[in-house]
Amino acid sequence: MAPPTLPPGKAINNIGEVILGFEQLGYITDSALATVVYLALKLGKPLLLEGHAGLGKTEVAKTLAAFVGTKLIRLQCYEGLDANAAVYEWNYQKQLLAIKAADGSKQSVAEKEKHIFSRDFLMERPLLQAIQAPEVSPVLLLDEVDRADEAFEAFLLELLSDFQISIPELGTIKAKHPPLVVLTSNRSRELSDALKRRCLYHWIEYPNREKEMKIVSARLPGIGAELERQVVSFVQSVRRLNLVKSPGVAETLDWAQALMALGKATLDVSAAEETLGCLAKSMDDIAKIKSAGIENIIAEAG
Amino acid sequence: MGRSLQYGVEEAVVGFCRFVRSHGLSAGITETLNALRAVEAIGIAGGIKDRQIVKAALRAVLCSSKAEWDQFEDLFEAFWNSRALQSQSPNQKERPERKQLQRESVQAMSPAWSTGEGLKDGSGKAVFGATVHERLKQTDFSDVSDRDLAELERIALRLLRQMSLRLSRRLKTAKLGNKVDLRRTLRLSISRGGEPIYLGFRHRKLQQQKLVILLDISGSMNPYSLFLARFAYALEKYFRRVDTFVFSTRLTDITAALRTPYLRDALQALSQESAGWSGGTKIGESLREFNSRSGRLLSRNTLFIILSDGWDTGEPKLLATELGAIKRRVRKVVWLNPLLGMEGYEPLTRGMSAALPHVDVFASAHNLESLLALERHLG
Repeated sequence: MAPPTLPPGKAINNIGEVILGFEQLGYITDSALATVVYLALKLGKPLLLEGHAGLGKTEVAKTLAAFVGTKLIRLQCYEGLDANAAVYEWNYQKQLLAIKAADGSKQSVAEKEKHIFSRDFLMERPLLQAIQAPEVSPVLLLDEVDRADEAFEAFLLELLSDFQISIPELGTIKAKHPPLVVLTSNRSRELSDALKRRCLYHWIEYPNREKEMKIVSARLPGIGAELERQVVSFVQSVRRLNLVKSPGVAETLDWAQALMALGKATLDVSAAEETLGCLAKSMDDIAKIKSAGIENIIAEAG
Repeated sequence: MGRSLQYGVEEAVVGFCRFVRSHGLSAGITETLNALRAVEAIGIAGGIKDRQIVKAALRAVLCSSKAEWDQFEDLFEAFWNSRALQSQSPNQKERPERKQLQRESVQAMSPAWSTGEGLKDGSGKAVFGATVHERLKQTDFSDVSDRDLAELERIALRLLRQMSLRLSRRLKTAKLGNKVDLRRTLRLSISRGGEPIYLGFRHRKLQQQKLVILLDISGSMNPYSLFLARFAYALEKYFRRVDTFVFSTRLTDITAALRTPYLRDALQALSQESAGWSGGTKIGESLREFNSRSGRLLSRNTLFIILSDGWDTGEPKLLATELGAIKRRVRKVVWLNPLLGMEGYEPLTRGMSAALPHVDVFASAHNLESLLALERHLG
């Protein structure tokens, strides 16, 4: 597997550069994740990110694209996703019109066929776009790949090993500049072993207190130090309550933003109660937090 | 590659790959080469001094799931601290009486295995009326007398055949449901001057299911396992593939044994092949063995059936983790517990209650009727 082509003048020589570059773009990372990103760049292997929702898996791909200075091509996977939606589709309406327009002409059937199955009539979907990049490797984000069907996964496997796609009417298209592939999965099901083996694997954990504080400061520069500390501590405690859906970093940021919008400088019980919906997304979880006692959690947070 | 790596480092990485492989991670040659490339890549970056970075790099290459990710932590520390990791597999001490028990239970099973050979010419044939059929259908497999056994098997085969016919018909009608395929329609229209006279259709692709069956063959489960093995055999034609395993303290693949053309021979072979027909059951460990050895059989189209009474002598936590791992990969987990056919039974054994959260269908399979009722869950 060839390493991806980076924009001219852009070379990444060590892991420190990745950490720093990501941080400048507002993504706080640690050395483990930076190492994996660095390896993906150097070895040209796809990067598989797993972890709970709201911990910035998708954000890694976006930041990576910005960091490298290349285009991000995103494919959101869902059940029933097929090659037509992911790779290419012919523009049928345009083809029909072209056939009608060529009605009186002396073109032979073979010529007509060649005409309407030319590139002008091809609609490129994300995967085809990704391997046709003209100069620089793009970042290809395959989001929530666990939701796609097994058949699609098998197709991906083929794509990820050769970076080529065959279109019966046009022939095989091979990538000149293999894309940097990032796959994310929420583990709604286990991916096939073959696919996983092709990838570098990284499990994204909930951040610890210090890291989460850094993330909040980076994302919400206007937040007061006191509120930030209280919010992060509160969320850290809530994660220990074994909720059905523990709040991710995305929820922390939402919540902090909500409190800021309400003009709170510190966290108090009533404010927390009013905005709890930002943090816990189900009746059961909200009840669980309430029964643990919001004032206790705040007190514990100090 | 190796050139730019110091010999000592290269050797250590290869050694480490071998080490993690012996502890269940899938570190084959490809992964080992990847590990070397990864270490080389970070080595150039800034001296290979930072242990955390080496760990992160190797972990990314050698792990491919959360479970492996968690395991890696210990393995890494153990290897690089060159501290012997305590043996993962608990010592499998065989109880002295085990062999004896085994022999006895094989003998106890033998009338069943010979599928009525000695009974055929006896009085057991053709004298049964409908009511007897009904009675037999409801008789617990473990209570069936030798005399009834041949007849029960005959009924079972007939009913199973009916059931599999029904099943295949159902699959065929589900295939209908067409959608116009624009791409083909257009292709067809070219030779008609662009008029879409003939429509192209797209059929919904038939998703054939796979079936994986695990049979508990420890002591009390024998009669039930026999019938379910037969059931699996009868169903084989109607699934894309059927894999059958038996387990007690360890796991044995009996798929090949079931595939021989003559059932009687197949079952004979089965009894020879099966490792332990008695003794305690280690469900959790058997499942772990299944996951690590045959996990590739599981997919979204797989129906996973396990037959066991849930009397697990192993660790319930292990059972829960392993079954959870299976559940995430398959379409449906069906747990058959013959004890469920007993009045007043509640699944309170430690193993059973650990397993239940990961089970989609919990049913009994203690008699022919309940076995046939499974049809509903097969579609």
